[in-house]
Amino acid sequence: MAKDRHEEQRPPSRAPNPVSSTISRRGFLKGIGTGAITAAVAPAVLMTQPDTADAQTLPGITQAQITLKVNGKPYKVDVESRTTLLSVLREKLDLTGAKLVCDRGECGGCTVLMDGKPVYACMMLALDAQGHEITTIEGLAAGDRLHPIQEAFIEHDALMCGFCTPGFVVAIKGLLDKTPNPTLDDIKRGVSGNICRCGTYPRVFQAALTAAQKMRKGG
Amino acid sequence: MEPNGQQFHVVGSRVPRVDALEKVTGRARYTADVHLPGLLYGVFVRSPYAHARITRIDVSKARALPGVMAVMTQQDLTEDQALVIQEEVHATRRVLNLFATDKVTYQGQKIAAIAAVSREIAEDAVRLVEVEYDPLPAYIDPRDAAKPETTMIYDDRQPVIGPHGETLHNVAGESHHQIGDVDQGFRDADRIFEDTYIVHRAHQTYIEPQSCIAEVGPDGKVTVWSSTQGHFAVRANISSSLGIPLSQINSIGMTIGGGFGAKFGGIIDTYAVLLAQKTRRPVKIVYTREEEFLDARPAPGAVITIKTGVTHDGTITARQAFALWDPGIGSGGCGATGRIQGVYSIPNVKWDAYDIHTNKPAPGAYRAPGAPQATFASESQLNRIAHELGIDPVELRLKNMREGDQVDFKATLKAVADHVGWWQREHDTGPNQGWGVAVGEWTNGAGPGAAVVSIHEDGSVSVFSGLMDITGTDSAMAVIAAEVLGVEYQRVKVIRGDTDSAPYATASGGSVITFSMGNAVLRAAEEARERILALAAEQFAVPVDRLELRDGQVVDRDHPENAMSLAEAARLGMRTIGGPIVGRGAFAAQPSATTIAAQIAKVEVNPDTGQVRLLKYVGSLDVGRAIYALGVEGQMEGGAVQGFSWGLMEQMQYAIDGRNANPNLLDYRIPTAMDVPYVESVLVEVPTKNGPFGCKGVGEPPIAPGIAVVAGAIHDAIGVWCNEAPITPERVVMACQERKDGVRG
Repeated sequence: MAKDRHEEQRPPSRAPNPVSSTISRRGFLKGIGTGAITAAVAPAVLMTQPDTADAQTLPGITQAQITLKVNGKPYKVDVESRTTLLSVLREKLDLTGAKLVCDRGECGGCTVLMDGKPVYACMMLALDAQGHEITTIEGLAAGDRLHPIQEAFIEHDALMCGFCTPGFVVAIKGLLDKTPNPTLDDIKRGVSGNICRCGTYPRVFQAALTAAQKMRKGG
Repeated sequence: MEPNGQQFHVVGSRVPRVDALEKVTGRARYTADVHLPGLLYGVFVRSPYAHARITRIDVSKARALPGVMAVMTQQDLTEDQALVIQEEVHATRRVLNLFATDKVTYQGQKIAAIAAVSREIAEDAVRLVEVEYDPLPAYIDPRDAAKPETTMIYDDRQPVIGPHGETLHNVAGESHHQIGDVDQGFRDADRIFEDTYIVHRAHQTYIEPQSCIAEVGPDGKVTVWSSTQGHFAVRANISSSLGIPLSQINSIGMTIGGGFGAKFGGIIDTYAVLLAQKTRRPVKIVYTREEEFLDARPAPGAVITIKTGVTHDGTITARQAFALWDPGIGSGGCGATGRIQGVYSIPNVKWDAYDIHTNKPAPGAYRAPGAPQATFASESQLNRIAHELGIDPVELRLKNMREGDQVDFKATLKAVADHVGWWQREHDTGPNQGWGVAVGEWTNGAGPGAAVVSIHEDGSVSVFSGLMDITGTDSAMAVIAAEVLGVEYQRVKVIRGDTDSAPYATASGGSVITFSMGNAVLRAAEEARERILALAAEQFAVPVDRLELRDGQVVDRDHPENAMSLAEAARLGMRTIGGPIVGRGAFAAQPSATTIAAQIAKVEVNPDTGQVRLLKYVGSLDVGRAIYALGVEGQMEGGAVQGFSWGLMEQMQYAIDGRNANPNLLDYRIPTAMDVPYVESVLVEVPTKNGPFGCKGVGEPPIAPGIAVVAGAIHDAIGVWCNEAPITPERVVMACQERKDGVRG
């Protein structure tokens, strides 16, 4: 459930020190990737030397070639242990619909589905996404036929600048696939991990309700 | 049919946004989505201190890291590569270095820029730059920074003598104004109210961070892709900062993920160009969210003391304000103190306002710059006056409102009051619930721009210009062209050119676009229409005034068999001496009209926890004419949300050493789906003379009244005035406690 996502992925409490420290929670996560690499990448081929001519990383950073299944297709990609799923999607696969906004699981701009469940792609190491089905905003429409959620967003004008829109659409898909007949409160909770600054929330709620109705009728 | 007899076929209709499809599919390309071969990633070395002397900078280890292609500090620049800031009031001219050299004046100030083959390597290199500091005391409150015992943040500043003879330090700017005689006005009053209101700094918090890519060609020509509200402004900034001729810069404006006033260039674009020049490879800079809070251009805070005299029947006789604004190391803000006049007829008004330097980043524009802060003071106090005099706050406003030109202040306020059932609200008010009302005013700006409208041989239409769409303006342009040419809205494409190809367009800020570029597009479409009608008149051998364009056809009113589709007209044009059908339109500036945003909130307050829950939020706005109705409503709703959000939750917090204490979206809270009630919009249309179809700029005014609205509602609910915004649960509880202790009533 989206509520779980909220609880799981947000840091449990505020930083005790109000002054930003040199090691961010985000940096800490990426650092963990370094240490945990042997456990995390059983299927991957580990390389201790970088494979690009002019790039070299600091000691302790390891590289690997992994396979990710995105929108139904397998992709072989070279990653560092600290590379996030979002970075692979955007930089290596040119799937730029998911956005880098806060890089620490605070805004939902990078929301993708992993095995049908919404996750923050900025908080997930690419290594950990192996063996899972990843769905991005680019995987929602069937050719030229929009997904009912996308249609409903247009119908209700549930977007302005559009930067948060892919994240909202994907989060709602995750919600409606599990909860086909949501209440307004279900919807609010379902998108509570996504932030919109243009202030279109009420229209997003309307779009989600309409989409749910359409999907129940078979899309 | 419109009330004034004008009939429209597209204007005011609820058509989908022109950019909706690319946005819901994730295909819209924002700046960070652009990848170029050989791309480098640019990052900054920043000061961890808010105020310190720099004793040593050593970049050698960073330069030696493999994958690092450039490390630049001020030493790598020529003398004329700098930001030049002129300040008129004190006739000072400051040349700001692009990088700090011997002193930093705010946390996050740039010390070096690094380009590397990956973002990760660039960040590794940042940690290898060695900088030593000698910290200085930091000033975070303008009231402290102004005291005569402080040292000047800028060595060249002189003390300024204030209106009561006091000495003010760190003055960055001043605004003074006087109408009538306030002393006499206060003598004419039966009651005089004096209150101090504090508004803290807020960040625009556009979801898309500041982003820019720069590339330099073999001939030195610079190409820049950026997230900006004005790519012509970006070109001008780069040119003046780096001494590159305009003709050697092509600025491309990408789809923008929110700006709200903060994206006019100057924050990162200059640095991307410097790094690209140095490395001869394209360089991408995308701010992290933390960098946004440390080194962008947020809205200034303000401390405003306001004094108002009224007679027993509620007539305002005088109003005076003294204000200290907090522009950090920059300037700008204090002039907005003038908004204390509001939409009222006040015979005697005076204000003295100062920008006071603090150790914080320079401010930028944020949606109706300065209006939310000043309006909080003036409208909150008006609510207090209404309460003290026992007059309904809507009645008190109606009593003092002046008659506007091309605007109906009273009708707009009444519209929202009627909509929420204001006069019967006691039947709809539970325990600890309350209602608040406030109004804000704003006059849209105007700026130069030109547009070209082309009719294609399939009868479709394109509008070409250099305007940056900020969420709805492209759709408004399509509506205007479709209306003039009598074609379907879906047949109009709106195309944005880069600065090499498009005619100049004023930047998208100050609610200027639908008014200004709308006029350019209107004129271009009219010229194309004249050309089509002339061609058809010749073809049918009939007088041109018998012809009209509707439903994609030229039709003879008297002989409907004389008809020609727009496609046929376009093809006919190609066979004539005049060639393909295009219309050109240009606009410079024309006076616009003031508008008023009136808003009402219903809240429920928990007096024990201080938690405020918004139950309802309704706003009305005199929009002149809603050209693109969904866009207008979107602006009204979005502005309202940002207004009440500043009133309830948004504050950039600074520790005593001047460091930002909440540089992330968990600790700097903006509303989520759980915080926003159903926001309703009531449109009032009093057309203007100079706006296309009578429109006004609508983007900014809806943010103005928000803080005062929620403050009024909280008082109505639990009987305490909160004069410091945002009105967080802590502040509500403290206000309740102070009332209990008898400190305030």
